[in-house]
Amino acid sequence: MASRIFKRGPTTPEMNMTSLIDVTFLLIIFFMLVNNIITEENVEMIVPELEDSKARELGEVHRLVINVAPQPFDPKTARDNPLMRDGTAAKVQLGMDEYPMADLASMTADLASAAEASPKDGKGRPSLEVVLRADSALYYNEVQAVMSAITAANIAKVNLVAFTPEKTKRDAKRFN
Amino acid sequence: MPESNETQPAAPKPTDEAVDHTTARSRRDIGPTKIQLNFTSMIDVIFLLLIYFVITASFVQDEGVLTANLPKGTGQPTTKVPPKPKRPIKIVLASTGLHGARLSIDSIGGYATFTELSDQLIQMQYDPSRGLTGPYKPDHPVVIKPDGNVRWQHVVNAFNSAVRARYSTVAFAQAE
Repeated sequence: MASRIFKRGPTTPEMNMTSLIDVTFLLIIFFMLVNNIITEENVEMIVPELEDSKARELGEVHRLVINVAPQPFDPKTARDNPLMRDGTAAKVQLGMDEYPMADLASMTADLASAAEASPKDGKGRPSLEVVLRADSALYYNEVQAVMSAITAANIAKVNLVAFTPEKTKRDAKRFN
Repeated sequence: MPESNETQPAAPKPTDEAVDHTTARSRRDIGPTKIQLNFTSMIDVIFLLLIYFVITASFVQDEGVLTANLPKGTGQPTTKVPPKPKRPIKIVLASTGLHGARLSIDSIGGYATFTELSDQLIQMQYDPSRGLTGPYKPDHPVVIKPDGNVRWQHVVNAFNSAVRARYSTVAFAQAE
């Protein structure tokens, strides 16, 4: 008989939500931190916009981003005339470490040690992809100096960052 | 004493109803008990997550990469062919005004847009599979030689034009 088995009567089961909320907060904090790290790595700048861009996305590879940052600018006014800004570089950022333009030698040293420490592919070559992200208004001299510093670290190939092709077609722009 | 409810309906209840833990339904009349799950906390957390991601989401144009070879690499070259002493196709960028540039190929110049430059490069190429009968093969070295104060945007645009014309050996000029 049911009355003999349940001496105390049926109770309403309650679900303990504490663990669920713990996990949810863990997820929130994780995504907040990852978002901050990714935005730190991409220094604020306007990368070159190309005519008939052949830029493609870099896959999931072991990559090191070198940012050549421009002087501080106001993004709203810069959008109208992106090339009419100061062309001197403010700093170079390798990953999360910053270097002034005067001290590219230490950037070379750190880059060389990072290339050495990176995992090697089948033929013993470092499988590190270096991504050069420079603002579109910088003078070529400035970026050339950074490229020489990268060459001095024994790196032969570099990926230049530019916008990917837009989905809508645009007329070819005259730049004068 | 809960058992007294059934047998003595007229007797007054001596126990305090606040601590009486049996529900109003008695054992024999109502069927299975319903499980109650309090959803309030879960919905609060979900709204928190939703609002966080809505606020931190930003719609930006994607950035892609173009792969470049650096001028003097003691690293591993991408082509297996030894360096040819051929005279390379020189794309010269001269700066005009504050942010413009004048394009020329081997001092034959005056291209207004990079698309025109790229089309000219395609004309100069030799590739029977695409119906091109120019003098230069696709692996003929192309060198991009900008002035020091040419903006980086034009340099990358010139590089993109060479890539679009399917030249495989494009490099930047040595520093002067």
